[in-house]
Amino acid sequence: MPVPSLRPRRGLDPRAKILLVIGCSIVVMSPAGLRFVPFALLLAIGLALGERDWRRAASLPAAAGVMWVLGWWLPLWWPNALTAVVSLACVYLIRFVVAIGVGAHVIVTTSPTQLAAALRIWRIPRPFAVTLAVMLRFFPVVGAEANAVLDAMRLRGLVGAGGLLRHPVLSVERFTVPMIAASLRASEDLSASAILRGLGSRRKPTAMQPPRFATPDLVLVLVTATLTTAALTLPAPLS
Amino acid sequence: MIHIEHVTWTYPHAETPSLRNLDLHVRSGEFVVLCGASGSGKSTALRLMNGLIPHFHDEGSLVGTVTVDGIATPGAELDEIGLGTGTVLQHPRRQFFTETAREEIAFAMENFGFPPPEIHTRVDDLISQIAVHVPVEQPLQRLSGGQQQQVAIAAATAHRPRILLLDEPSSSLSADAVERLTATLAQVKAEGVTIVVAEHRLRYLQGLADRIIVMRDGAMSTQWSAGTFRSLPDDVLAREGLRGDIRTAELPSLPATGGSVAQPSPGDQIRSAALELEGIRCRLGGRVVLDIERVSIAAGEVTALRGANGAGKSTLARIITGLQRSAGTVRLDGKALSRQARQRVSAIVMQDVQRQLFTDRVDAEIGLAGAGAGQVDESETVLRALDLDHLATRHPLSLSGGQQQRLVVATVRVSNRRIVIFDEPSSGVDRRHLRSISDQIRRIAASGAVVVLISHDEDLLHLAADRQLTLAPHQAS
Repeated sequence: MPVPSLRPRRGLDPRAKILLVIGCSIVVMSPAGLRFVPFALLLAIGLALGERDWRRAASLPAAAGVMWVLGWWLPLWWPNALTAVVSLACVYLIRFVVAIGVGAHVIVTTSPTQLAAALRIWRIPRPFAVTLAVMLRFFPVVGAEANAVLDAMRLRGLVGAGGLLRHPVLSVERFTVPMIAASLRASEDLSASAILRGLGSRRKPTAMQPPRFATPDLVLVLVTATLTTAALTLPAPLS
Repeated sequence: MIHIEHVTWTYPHAETPSLRNLDLHVRSGEFVVLCGASGSGKSTALRLMNGLIPHFHDEGSLVGTVTVDGIATPGAELDEIGLGTGTVLQHPRRQFFTETAREEIAFAMENFGFPPPEIHTRVDDLISQIAVHVPVEQPLQRLSGGQQQQVAIAAATAHRPRILLLDEPSSSLSADAVERLTATLAQVKAEGVTIVVAEHRLRYLQGLADRIIVMRDGAMSTQWSAGTFRSLPDDVLAREGLRGDIRTAELPSLPATGGSVAQPSPGDQIRSAALELEGIRCRLGGRVVLDIERVSIAAGEVTALRGANGAGKSTLARIITGLQRSAGTVRLDGKALSRQARQRVSAIVMQDVQRQLFTDRVDAEIGLAGAGAGQVDESETVLRALDLDHLATRHPLSLSGGQQQRLVVATVRVSNRRIVIFDEPSSGVDRRHLRSISDQIRRIAASGAVVVLISHDEDLLHLAADRQLTLAPHQAS
């Protein structure tokens, strides 16, 4: 049987993706960041479309749209103290929507081994690089366990606003204790297997597919650098 | 190749040792099966061989010597031992560190510093071998249990270790996946690799194993040569608490129609029953994963839900219990129920029962489950019936796996749910516990519940199921 063509498509270099997240976060969180939110949002949507992640591509503008309506339009239509507070929160939260959108791209498209290889090139200390790689792998494990615990709680009638309001501490405890127990059990297998296969060993690791900084990476990093410089040098609207 | 001499091992905080004065020697190229009842120490012996004992349990107590491929494991680094051994854990999906077969197979070689061209050659070679049965371009978590097992073995042997250790590799596999596992192990053995397998199911290994070692209470109890084992009658294995000949469960099929039903029946064969599903259609990730036009499931008996991974078994269970949205109608006793209403009348015994223990005492767990059903008074009776009364004040998470499973079954019994789903309840259990689980399933069905059993375990299905509904992956039309 012929070897299937399975060499995966090269996406962006993990180093470019990390720079992208850092740059976009600085841009949108800076005092003048609000005016750059549309650019960063377009970038986040473009990254999702590039990966054919239609759900992320649709949910990002939807979430940003909700923030925009609540933050800018609601207090005009219905001015009162409550809508003012909601507006203030949404004007700030819209920045997080965009930053999380770009960050989600890194988490979804970067495998732990690619991340570790990229961090090695940057000569990041091994304990830090291995910890980040393990964290990246552990997120989905925790997510899966949390969903399973919530399912079990629903069937026992333990999920609901009533119970949460009456016994908030107990409700949180009933969710977190089994979730942590199940996650720890899953993580024990994961770490045992990874250590036995050399993760974190003193040998010098190699990479089957070393990260390669290509033209698209360069373009994205330059765009982000330009936006970051502009965000940091332009005066804030209120100053 | 492997020398374990006078080893006694006690896990941290355990009162009694898990291995007692164990003497075990495995020759180079030998294929050894470790078997025995749950808790006999076979998995612990494997962890001794790959160095996880003592390195992964800081405060445990180890007496005796362990040498693996010339390395004294207690004093060696774990990666040094890992370079010479490959380990496949009981649940492959939990040991994957990456998302694709290609990356997973390369993982150990990358960490051990193999040159990239060599990694590419070896990965291409192994991928071409497993691609016959494994859709290697799919994310690992979407593969079936058998396919994940094949990737895990390829990943464990990619760096060409001289020893391969497998912990209950057949525990969640269907019959055809076990056949593929046997073929894979035969190939690895032919390459001269020393293989040690801890296992409950034995017959599938009888053509491969050179020696079968029965463990009891942390020590070797009996050992059989390959020839002796092949001639052993099933009742000898039963006396040792071992699973022998797999009893194929030939169950009558439940009449059903729809694109996900493996063998649809004519619609007029479907009679009314306690639980009726009509026009069930579920889309996930943009594709139809389940399509059942009509099926009726009776109360008071156990319906096995069978089919390959990805056929929609778990999705159907989630729809029945109201955890998953779908098109169509679910009726219980003739009344159409909303998702929320189905959640109130349903219970699931999950494969990993730790996820469904919410309180800090066994009796409180029963009390919580019974409170909603007005059955608090029955708590003690149920605890006694399931041999849990002496553990009433213990924290549920401090119980053994089997005790936790019985506790969840006890909560299901006191909560008086009309629909009960068992999801792979016998993964990795011995013959005695298999019987006990089957009794519990039967008892819940006898109380008048609609019981659905999802399992690949032919032995359990033979003991516990009355009918079967077999699903097949939905083909886009």
